[in-house]
Amino acid sequence: MKNNKLLPYLLVSPYLIHLMVFVAFPVLFSIFLTFNKWNIISPMEFIGFGNFLRVFQDVLFFKAIYNTLKFLIVHIPLQIIVALLLAEILNQKIKFRPFFRAAFFLPVVVSGVVVSMLWQQLYGFDTGILNRMLTTLGFGKVGWLVDPNMAMVSIAVMATWKNVGLYVILFLVGLQTVPPQYYEAADLEGANHWQKFWHITLPMINPTIFMVVILSTIGGFSLFIEPYIMTGGGPLNSTLSAVLYIYKQAFTNYHMGYSATLGFFFAFIILFVVIIQKRFIEKGES
Amino acid sequence: MKKLILYITLIIGSIAFIYPFYWMVTASLVPENEIESLTLLPQSISLNSYIQMFEKIPIGRAFFNSIFVATMVTGGVLVLCSMVGYALSRLRFVGRNLIFYIIIFTMTLPFQITLIPNYIIMVKLGWIDTFLALIVPYLINAFAIIMFRQVFQTIPQDLIDAARIDGCGELRIIFQILWPNIVPSLVTVGIITFMATWNDVLWPLIVIRDENLMTMPQLVTLFAVGGRAESQLGVKLASATILAFPIIIAYLFFQKYFIQSMASTGMKE
Amino acid sequence: MKNVLFKGCKSEFFLGLLVLSCSLLTYCNFSRENDDNSLLYWSANDAQEVEFARQVISAWNLEHPDEQIKLQPVPEGQSSEEIILAAVVGKTTPDIYANMWQGDVEFFAQAKVLVPFDTLEGFLEFIYQRCDSALIKEITSSDGHIYQIPWKINPIMMIYNKQVVEEIGGVPRTYSEYLEACKKYQKDNDGDGYVDQWFGYANVRPIWHELRFNFYLLYLAASDGASLVENNHAVFNNQHAIDVFRFFGELYTKNYFTQDMLSSGQDPFLTGKIATKFTGPWEIAHLEKFKPQGFDYAYAPVPVPDDHQGPVYTYGDPKNIVIFNTCKNPLLAWRFLKFLISDENDLLFLKLSGQIPPRKDLTINPLFVEVFKQNEKLAPFANQARYIRGVDNNEVIKEVFDIITQEYQSSVLYGVKSPEDALRDAAKAVDVLLLNM
Repeated sequence: MKNNKLLPYLLVSPYLIHLMVFVAFPVLFSIFLTFNKWNIISPMEFIGFGNFLRVFQDVLFFKAIYNTLKFLIVHIPLQIIVALLLAEILNQKIKFRPFFRAAFFLPVVVSGVVVSMLWQQLYGFDTGILNRMLTTLGFGKVGWLVDPNMAMVSIAVMATWKNVGLYVILFLVGLQTVPPQYYEAADLEGANHWQKFWHITLPMINPTIFMVVILSTIGGFSLFIEPYIMTGGGPLNSTLSAVLYIYKQAFTNYHMGYSATLGFFFAFIILFVVIIQKRFIEKGES
Repeated sequence: MKKLILYITLIIGSIAFIYPFYWMVTASLVPENEIESLTLLPQSISLNSYIQMFEKIPIGRAFFNSIFVATMVTGGVLVLCSMVGYALSRLRFVGRNLIFYIIIFTMTLPFQITLIPNYIIMVKLGWIDTFLALIVPYLINAFAIIMFRQVFQTIPQDLIDAARIDGCGELRIIFQILWPNIVPSLVTVGIITFMATWNDVLWPLIVIRDENLMTMPQLVTLFAVGGRAESQLGVKLASATILAFPIIIAYLFFQKYFIQSMASTGMKE
Repeated sequence: MKNVLFKGCKSEFFLGLLVLSCSLLTYCNFSRENDDNSLLYWSANDAQEVEFARQVISAWNLEHPDEQIKLQPVPEGQSSEEIILAAVVGKTTPDIYANMWQGDVEFFAQAKVLVPFDTLEGFLEFIYQRCDSALIKEITSSDGHIYQIPWKINPIMMIYNKQVVEEIGGVPRTYSEYLEACKKYQKDNDGDGYVDQWFGYANVRPIWHELRFNFYLLYLAASDGASLVENNHAVFNNQHAIDVFRFFGELYTKNYFTQDMLSSGQDPFLTGKIATKFTGPWEIAHLEKFKPQGFDYAYAPVPVPDDHQGPVYTYGDPKNIVIFNTCKNPLLAWRFLKFLISDENDLLFLKLSGQIPPRKDLTINPLFVEVFKQNEKLAPFANQARYIRGVDNNEVIKEVFDIITQEYQSSVLYGVKSPEDALRDAAKAVDVLLLNM
């Protein structure tokens, strides 16, 4: 009988241990680190608010935040539009639906590393397929990854290509929950497809849209491997994402205290954005 | 016909999603100087890129590492998280709800805060350049716990009571009685965990420096970004193809499960 | 009731397996500790250096059966500096490491993990005999100690395609001559409206270490080896730097240099796509292996501003030897190293790897003069070795390079800022960085 009292705690213990070691302690340690200067092999040096002051002077960090936001602003709407479009089409009476679904979903399972390397070549200025296509059609070449204004947009497009399959599936599920009676009723009133879509479909799948936005946002904030492989943060730091910058500060320059501080600031910004999104979309719902 | 337009859109879409992979595979199979002019069909086939790649980097070793790590993590997650999920859903104890809320809360915690300290913990424990660093931090997955808790809640209590009467210990209840009943959830969590672990790059880049322990995506990344490919494009693409290969094969066979798994994660939100 | 034996057996078995494998894995590490008295020597891991180390170490071990040296090529990884850092952190450092970039030494010296050579008997007189005083000053740490032995350099010079240069009218020495040559060689061969033939090329990836082969290189040449930072302060915002920025800026605006990554496909120098390159003696081995019939090349000093007088300095890409303080017998290590960099072994190294020892007697010591006479491609380096610089001895020199790289890209490649503005911003950022150190 004593067994029974302890048992639940035993079962839950893996989680609690994990929580302490890999979540709670790191957060506390992170706070502690922000007040210190440390490069791992030398002893730690207490510097009070030194790191905070440095963050406020850090032009590159703000550029990294700006870049990440720019990425999201391009990526999320594009993703929603394309995913919705494809899902809507697939929702019609289409043959070979499994094939199309599988095709769209393929990039989702493949590693981001593969996708980045692949698209780095597709975007190549001289030899990439995209520019070769453009020149054969008579247009000029585009500096997909070498034009500072274009580079982040190119990465956002690629990220959409990679993830849209997942959201097509999610939207499909959402679309299929809309009761057909609504559409039938609208048909009786003589509504065309567009009106049906705007007034019935969209409101009904609002929860799905919300979920897509949140998932894409959180995913977008962790943007790292794509710029790391494709551009190294360039050109002119236009693709330097926040995580990439933190990584560089920690593992190229070994400023552990400073990068922990950056991590903190960045986490707050993420929470802030997510809260705003929640408010915004919930308002839209009502 | 409207239908025609829809089909054309879908077909163009499918090409857009498949062609780049096709290009990658063919480009890895042609001689280096042909890559520039490649569009659809290669002019000549050459295995040179692959041969060179195998000579330059221990890709086979990395493949083994990835399989090992992903399997261990997936196994661990399935076992440990179902234990926790079971306790949270079927057992009554003080703190049950508190733990649940903590789990939800920590799911929202951005990893950017814990990244650096976790690295330092690895350093202090001496786990840098060991498999422990790659496996242990991932053994508990909040998402998996939530999923298991949710699905265990749907199991009828009689089943568990009957097993208890039979004298089964709790662990046996979970693994021998309940697991067979929640196979779809097991598959879902299993696939997602395996895929996520396989594709994870940032963490291995941080904790593994020894080439013999690197995971496959990590090795390919460093190969692509570093100078060892000596700017040979074909070799880089060969490594990318090899990296994509296992997952694509698994995907082709288990497509249904992949798609269902990812879809159901959305439903739970 | 079912089999009592199997009560909960399956799951415990699973868990047990997990725990067992994990503990097994902890032991599955490389053990880099040597339990005997021998010293562990890490060499670079390219084939020639490993071969050289093997020969020298075997010779030593023969003569000193009680004082053995063990050889290990540095483990493969992302960058050797990271491997060393990981080794320091994991306490698996070797006794001797013979491939450390000069710029990295200060970082480790400040962390107090290196042995100061000047405390070892006989070091100072040896080093003053081997190297000239400018070099010694460069490698002295901010605390007055010397933590590295200058071992090998790869001076960067301008390699040129002999045939092209003959047609153009001779080897360009100044910026104006170089620009002239660029104009003559620039061509659109396949008529697609885009230039595909350039006189020279410099890598444009925005990584700090590329700077050594474009801006920093010419800055040293133009300024006769001036520093970037001195007394924790940026001193590179001067006329020389502005000249270099302006020169590169012109090269890119007029498309004399391309911004593309000339990476895919064959070696552009060999195909004539580019006629010059800033590179070191390592290129020789590669070129000799792959050059087509009739292709000839040579090295010349890098171009300098028109009003420049005197010898042309360059970047030496120095790699040096350090002893970690985990070494139980630094004196033995030093005795071995004296053997490693003796005249005969320096000669052997030069012959095996084509890399130059930074000795001040390269042009007078008959042993070396002979080698350079026999290998005419290598000959220009003998003289150039007298006029080289490494990098300033500063803990965060890499970040300084990074900052300058950003401004270099901004001004030279993208034309967003004038050279004066770019350098001014760079100097400001570097000062902020150094202040916070």
